[in-house]
Amino acid sequence: MRLPNQAAIDANNLLHVSLLHTDITKAAFVPALAEALPAVQLVGDSLTRLTYSLRPAATWDDGQPVLAQDILFTLKLMFCPGLPNEAARNQYRFIRNILPDPANARRFVVECRGQAPEYVQASGDFFILPEHVLDPRGWLRRLSLAQLRNPPPGPAPDTALQAVAQRYRAETALGHLPGCGPYQLVKWEKDHYLSFRRKAHWWADLLRPAPLVLQARPRRLTYAVIPNAASATLALQRGELDLYPQMPAPEFARLQASPTARKKLTFHSTPSYDVVVAGFNTRHSTLADAPTRRALGQLFDAAGLLRATQLGSGQRTVGIISPSDSANYNDTLTPLPFSPEGGAALLRQAGWQQSNVPEPGWFRRGPNGARERLRLVLRYRAEEALFATIALQFQSVAAKLGIPVVLQPTEAGAFTMALHGGDFDMYVRTLRGNPFMFNFVPILHSLGVGEDNTTGFSTPGSDHLIEAIAAAGTKTRRAQLLRQFQALLQREMPLVPLFFLPNRVVVSRRLRGVYVGSIKPGYSVAAASPLASQPPN
Amino acid sequence: MARLIVWRLARTLVAVWALASLVFLLSYRDRNTATELALPDAADLRSRHNATNPAGQLATRQAIQHRLGLDRPLFYVSRLAASPPSGVQWHWNGRHNQYHRWAVQLLHGNMGTSFRTGQPVAARLREALAMTLPLTGTAALLAVLAALALAVRLAAAPWWQRPVRAALVAVHAMPLFVLALALLFVFANPEVLAWFPAYGLDQDTELSSGQWLATYLLHLVLPGATLALAALPELALQLEASLVQELHAGYVATARAKGLPENAIIRRHALRNALLPSLSQLAELLPALVAGALVVEVVFALPGMGRLLAEAAAARDYPVLVGGVLLVGVARLLALLLADLLYLWTDPRIRWQS
Repeated sequence: MRLPNQAAIDANNLLHVSLLHTDITKAAFVPALAEALPAVQLVGDSLTRLTYSLRPAATWDDGQPVLAQDILFTLKLMFCPGLPNEAARNQYRFIRNILPDPANARRFVVECRGQAPEYVQASGDFFILPEHVLDPRGWLRRLSLAQLRNPPPGPAPDTALQAVAQRYRAETALGHLPGCGPYQLVKWEKDHYLSFRRKAHWWADLLRPAPLVLQARPRRLTYAVIPNAASATLALQRGELDLYPQMPAPEFARLQASPTARKKLTFHSTPSYDVVVAGFNTRHSTLADAPTRRALGQLFDAAGLLRATQLGSGQRTVGIISPSDSANYNDTLTPLPFSPEGGAALLRQAGWQQSNVPEPGWFRRGPNGARERLRLVLRYRAEEALFATIALQFQSVAAKLGIPVVLQPTEAGAFTMALHGGDFDMYVRTLRGNPFMFNFVPILHSLGVGEDNTTGFSTPGSDHLIEAIAAAGTKTRRAQLLRQFQALLQREMPLVPLFFLPNRVVVSRRLRGVYVGSIKPGYSVAAASPLASQPPN
Repeated sequence: MARLIVWRLARTLVAVWALASLVFLLSYRDRNTATELALPDAADLRSRHNATNPAGQLATRQAIQHRLGLDRPLFYVSRLAASPPSGVQWHWNGRHNQYHRWAVQLLHGNMGTSFRTGQPVAARLREALAMTLPLTGTAALLAVLAALALAVRLAAAPWWQRPVRAALVAVHAMPLFVLALALLFVFANPEVLAWFPAYGLDQDTELSSGQWLATYLLHLVLPGATLALAALPELALQLEASLVQELHAGYVATARAKGLPENAIIRRHALRNALLPSLSQLAELLPALVAGALVVEVVFALPGMGRLLAEAAAARDYPVLVGGVLLVGVARLLALLLADLLYLWTDPRIRWQS
């Protein structure tokens, strides 16, 4: 159940089915194992009840029906000690209980602490496992979800729990973890490839009409791990691959320019929800005030960087909400201009003065009265050429203004620790989002300071606004609040939103029925089939 | 001789143990990074809808450390955090520490389980070696045979000596990734020559064994050729220089005076003496066989030892990293031992001196 990255999520979506899935063509969560989106009932001001019904056709491979007890079992398994599900436990802690309907084994209520529109998606976003296979004796039925969530302090967990955990681990190690998804794992070699075979009979084959998320036309799917973009591009050209997602801009442009490649391949570029940002360490006195941050923000040439690194595709933005999300994007704001002169003027307004004594640079009196100099350490992940280009552009413009910037390309693990420890003045990285989740508490609320709020930014006003967005009752209200939040972020500028990256997918012309969209993984092969053959009935 | 070998082996074992212990203690000391990397990426807002509670985050970290065994003290003794400024205070942790558990497991033949995948480290190393050894072994064999053939011919000073030497020096100066990409773009490119596949080894599970072998060998050509070409110049140029030096020796003049042809002088007389400096180069190949070739593995998408260890280091997967270091360390120290023994065996002067 631990899904560390997008590739793991994609692979698991072939083997398992969740209550809800994202439909790439609609950019929305749609029912998968559930018959419909859940009915929402708000109880008081601190409880949400979501009523789900499972599809009657849904069965496991042995013909047993998928029941509400399986949902409850899966959630209990997340809290079972000895399994690598620590992050999932924290993530799904908001589910207080699951109440199966005594009159209908396929109907149940998910009871959630608090109230938030996101609970609809979040409550259905984990894949379901069969209780009768992993816990045939019903050991977990003896314990409530609350008992598992808050186990009594003791040296070792219950032996029954250990037995269930061991069975789960054994099935996972063998790659035989049973699922009600359309594919079976044929072979998996770590860092090499995964191969899946379509089940001859899958319950969703009987659905008429079958929604896209419950289609699975390819008879066989192989995912290859190719770390080098040049090799992967050649393999695509040679016909060894049918699809290349998230192709880097230079390879994409090179292939598009090749007449031979154009005959064999189709090229797709859609906006993604990944935004490149620069962050300030607002705990440092030099960067504690918004005017200084806004001044430095004007030294990023976002338009030029888009041309240089993404060859013109991608979208400039006013904030961390995608411009594609027209309902929530604040189009009354304008993207931050690239203006070194404007930046210098703002620095002066913030109290900075250029001086040659004791050395050339910008100086002002700090909060303790001491003279402080504006000099910056900018960190970014070492292996990313995109971040290096952004950092070099910023350094060069800052140098012209007389602001020294030390670049520190940092190894990924060390970068994570440096950001957590506040060991930076500025950083550049990508924030990955989607059009469903608008909870900014982890990255911009005072509760996240010391955790994932790496900038250390928080004000009572911003905290209040973030809480209001997370709890907004309607989409209209949430959109209003999100627009206010974008204006606040542009004013305070703990982050400089540079641009949203494009999602580039190249597909072989031999395939038809491949959908490309903005939501990860950026494509869907559910309805894909070779051009020459007929789709199965 | 036997006593010498036993003595050297014992020393090697102690050195390997010290090396592995050092890597263990240095790497496991950084347990916080391993814990952070086991958490969801903070920059991924998609899965953060409710992971906001600081107490919950702390509990998550503690649970991860407990599962990975990182909640125990690192060593038998540890420094007390609240030591007075006047001096450092130490605390005896007994056997309930990470190093003791690792050492006991290792002595029982258990190298632990991967933090990332939960698979046994020995199995992961075995899988990676099964990919790496045929590749590096074939490349090393090809490089040695080609170097021998080339050096013997070059030493005879044919007309093509200078251009071939220049070409060898050029290849030697070329970074490995440039060499690999050059071969890839020439021989796996449909717009130039599409003779060989661009990546991977075998993925088709439905091939007969004969077809599988043919596909496997076809996939091995480019990475194998890259490694062989990269290793060839050093071996060939060293051996040729050594041969040229030997050809000025007195015994060669005597052989020439007896009327022996130049080829026979090189092969029968000079080669054995000239090979002596190359023995240490050959011994160096052994750890390289085991450690894999990261650059070639990345370019040709091969899941070998090089990538396994590099990714284990990046992901702070310490059990795999320490297991890999142990394996490569054993290979390196055995290679040094082997080189010493080969020198003793081939050169009576060294045997006599020792």
